[in-house]
Amino acid sequence: MELDVSGAKVFFTIHTDLPILGDLQISETLVVSWLVMLIITGLCIWLTRDLKVEKISRRQAVAEMLVETAENFVIGNAGEKFRKLVPFVAALFATSLVSNLVSLVGLWSPTADLSTEAAWAVVVFVMITAQKIRSGGLGGYLKGFTTPIAVMTPFNILSELATPISMACRHFGNILSGVVINGLIYGALGLASAKLLGLLPGFLGNVLSQIPVLQVGLPAVLSVYFDWFTGFMQAFIFCMLTVMYIANAAEE
Amino acid sequence: MTEVQELVGLVPWTFLAQIANLFIQVYLIKRFLFKPINKILEERRAKADAVLQDADKVREEAKELKAEYEQNMLEAKNKAGEILLTAQKTAEAQSEKLLKEAEQEAAAMRSRAEKDIAQEKRKAVGEIKNEIGGMAMEIAGKVIEREINQEDHAKLIDEFISNVGEAS
Repeated sequence: MELDVSGAKVFFTIHTDLPILGDLQISETLVVSWLVMLIITGLCIWLTRDLKVEKISRRQAVAEMLVETAENFVIGNAGEKFRKLVPFVAALFATSLVSNLVSLVGLWSPTADLSTEAAWAVVVFVMITAQKIRSGGLGGYLKGFTTPIAVMTPFNILSELATPISMACRHFGNILSGVVINGLIYGALGLASAKLLGLLPGFLGNVLSQIPVLQVGLPAVLSVYFDWFTGFMQAFIFCMLTVMYIANAAEE
Repeated sequence: MTEVQELVGLVPWTFLAQIANLFIQVYLIKRFLFKPINKILEERRAKADAVLQDADKVREEAKELKAEYEQNMLEAKNKAGEILLTAQKTAEAQSEKLLKEAEQEAAAMRSRAEKDIAQEKRKAVGEIKNEIGGMAMEIAGKVIEREINQEDHAKLIDEFISNVGEAS
């Protein structure tokens, strides 16, 4: 048996043939991302239907709790002046979480594509840099690379660049590993059940070995960790790092 | 077989699209979750503030009322004390006056009575004198008219004395 863990499927290609960009490929990543956006936006609209000041519905209570949690998370970690950052972090977290969990229904996780995390990490990196320049001035920002001594400059630049790369790769690696391990386990369990039931004699064995019974159960248990836990943790870590880096950038 | 992208790799178009997607998602979540919820939270806060302010106002009013009431009570108490004092003084003065008047009147009555008694006495003494004189004249007439015996003599004297005693 062959196990094939591949990247995002390409549904169709629009020939743009631009330099560097190449052809525009409408891949699974993009389609599922749009689906994720639809899910999140639909959820937001559903949660905020007929809001009331008093005697709120359970749905509204959940919506308010989400908003307050997001605000507490950002403001508690970065301070009151980063209130503007709340919707960004909330969007980042929601997109990341839903993208991670969407694999539970058998769809391709957009977060299993490095391009997605790279895009997010670059946005965060630009925000961090902008915050550093805003708080210390361009001179202060550039001077920051020569601390504590000028010799350290290349390493400082390296560590600066490592921030988005590590953020992107951490998230991507965790999700991809889940995808790979899930694929491996499914493959292995399918093989195992085929072999075990194939031991049965005659026609019965031939029929039953076609049904991968062992694939029922165990993957669900493992998915609690690889999909639910990792999916939640990586979304949380990505947002936590975003907030912490930006808050740190403001302090310098 | 469908075309697949590399498992680990950067696809420039996807990269750009995901940046755009992220910002669109930020806008959408802001528009459809944060804006309405924050609006409702703000409204609730405003309402709570209004209620608190109202309560403060009412408390302030109650405080004022209480102060006014206490002031009034104090004034009333003072006034009552004053009135009582005045009444007491008036009563005292009046009773003193009454007592004095009564005393005076009693004294006047007494002196008048004394005077009356004295006059009466004088009058009585005068009358007695007159009577005694008359009696003496009568006795003398009787003595002259007839022979007075020993017995008559004693009787006369007794009569005379008892008459004098009655008159005095």
